[in-house]
Amino acid sequence: MITTFASQQIQSLRRQRIFVALLIALLAMTAVAGVLGWSSHNTITRVYDEAVRLLAADGKPAPPNPFLLKPSLSLLSNMVVYIPLLGALLALVLGHLSLADDEADGVGRLIFSRPVSRTHYVAGKLFAVASVLAAALAGSLLVGIGSLLVVNRAVPAITDLGRLVVFYGLSWLYLMVFALVGMIAVLMTRRTSLALLSAMGVWLVITFAVPQFTSGLRPTESLNPITNPVSTSQRFFQITAFARPYSVAEQYKAASSHILNLVTAEPVAQTIQRVLPIAVLVTSLAIVTLVLVERHDFSRSSSNE
Amino acid sequence: MSRPAIEVRNLSHRYTTDPVLRDINLTIEQGEVFGFLGHNGAGKTTAINILTTLIAPTSGTAMVNGHDVVAERNRVTAGIGYLPAEVRMYPHMTAAENLVFFAELSGVSKPHEAVAETLEYLECSELADRRLGSFSTGMRQRIGIAQAIVHRPQVLFLDEPTAGLDPMGVRQLRETILRLNADLGMTVFMNTHLLSEVAQVCTTIGVLSHGELIYKDSIEETVRRFPDEASLEDIYARMESATP
Repeated sequence: MITTFASQQIQSLRRQRIFVALLIALLAMTAVAGVLGWSSHNTITRVYDEAVRLLAADGKPAPPNPFLLKPSLSLLSNMVVYIPLLGALLALVLGHLSLADDEADGVGRLIFSRPVSRTHYVAGKLFAVASVLAAALAGSLLVGIGSLLVVNRAVPAITDLGRLVVFYGLSWLYLMVFALVGMIAVLMTRRTSLALLSAMGVWLVITFAVPQFTSGLRPTESLNPITNPVSTSQRFFQITAFARPYSVAEQYKAASSHILNLVTAEPVAQTIQRVLPIAVLVTSLAIVTLVLVERHDFSRSSSNE
Repeated sequence: MSRPAIEVRNLSHRYTTDPVLRDINLTIEQGEVFGFLGHNGAGKTTAINILTTLIAPTSGTAMVNGHDVVAERNRVTAGIGYLPAEVRMYPHMTAAENLVFFAELSGVSKPHEAVAETLEYLECSELADRRLGSFSTGMRQRIGIAQAIVHRPQVLFLDEPTAGLDPMGVRQLRETILRLNADLGMTVFMNTHLLSEVAQVCTTIGVLSHGELIYKDSIEETVRRFPDEASLEDIYARMESATP
C-alpha cells in the first residue's frame, strides 16, 4: 500500500509544471555555481599568469598560484547559499503538492472510503517526497561534479567526492524540513493557496528571520557562511548566542561549510552536533504530519481558490 | 434470509452543538436502490460520510454488509463503492492511471484488467488514456462511477450523482445505475434532489428533514399511500410541509 501511494505521487509530480520548473531552476543554479567558479578561476589564473610573466621579466620569484591554496570544492561554495533558497522552495512546493490534490480535489474522500490505513498513506507520501527530493539533489550533485570536471580538467579526488556526497546528504535532511512544513500547512489550513503562503512564511522565518536574531542582526551572515565576529559580552548577544544552536538554517550553513572544507576545520563531533537539531526537527515534523493526518477530516474538501 | 446491506440504529451526529442527524433508524435490504431525499443541509451527505467510514457518528451504530462502520472499518470499505458529489481525482493523471491507483487501494489483484473491463462495461474505454484535467463534467462522472465500481463492491453510495450533468448525462447515469443493480446485484444508496430520477430508478425512498428520517417506504407503497398527489414531487412537498 505504501508503494501504491508513493508511485502515484511520483507519477503525478513528474507532470506538475511548477515542480518541474523549480527542479530545472535548481539544476541550472548548480550549473551557474560551477560557471561562476570556472569564470573566477579563469580570470584569476590569467591575472596570475600575467603577474608571473612580469615578475619573471624583472627577475623576481613568483608567489604560488592562489587557486592551489584554496580548497578544491570552493568552486561550489555558492551551493551552500542556493540550496537553502531555491532548494528549500522546491521542497516546500513538493510537500505542498503531495497533499494539495487530495485536499482541494476531494481525492482524500475517495482514498479513505477504501480499506487503507492513514499511517500507510503518510508513509507513502513521505517516501515519495523523500525520494523525489533525493533524486533532485542527486541531479544537482551530478551537475556539481560535472562543473568540477570542466574547471579542474580532472576527476575530483575521492575525498572531495565523499565530501560532496555528505554535503548533499545533509542538504536532503535540511530540505526535508521544508517539505514537511509544506505538508503540514496543507493539513492545517482550509485553502490550499493559504497553505502555500503559510509554508513560505515559515521558510522566510527559518531562512531569514531566525538567523537575523540568533546572529545578532548581521545581515550578511544570513547569506554567507562566515565566522562570528561579534563579542558575546552583551546580554543581547548572550541570548542570541544561546539560541544559535537551534537555528537550523545557520547550523546547516556552518555544517555544510565544514563538510565542504570551505572554512577552518572543526572536529567531526562538532559538525554532527550541528546536524542534530536538523535531524530532531525533521523527526518531530514527521510525527506531527502523521498525527495531523490521523486526525484530519478528509470528508471535507478545502478550497483551492 | 440474508443480512441487510445497510442497518442504522439510533444514529446521531453533530459537528458543533446543533445535531445534523437525530436518532436515525434505517434498514436497506440487499439489491435495493434507495433514494435518500432531503433539502440542502438536511444531513444526507453526513449520513453518507458516516456509512462510508469517513467520519464516526457521535452516537448510535451503523452497519454495512453486517460490519460496523467504526469497529470494522476495513471490512466495510472493502465492500463499498463511493461517488462524491464532485468527482475530480488526479487531474495530471490519465483516467486509466487514476482507476488503477484506486483499484490497487481496494486490493484488486489484477488492477489493469479490472480497469479495462470496467471502462468497457461503462462504454467509455476511449477515455482511458486521456488526462482527467481535460474532461467535461459528464466524462468525469463516468470515470467517477468507474472508480466506485472497479473493485465490484456490494453497496454503492452516490452523493448527488446528477449534479452538473446535462440531460443526456442524467439519462446515461440513470441507465448505468439500473444496469449495475440488475447485472451485478449492487445495492445502491443515492442522495439526490431530483425526484424524477428517484421515481425512475429507486425501489425505496427515505426522506430526511432537519436531520430526522421522517419517511421510508417503497415507491409503490408511497404512491398508494398518497393517492391524492399527482407526482412524487407533490408527495415530497407534502411531507416536508408537514414537518415543523
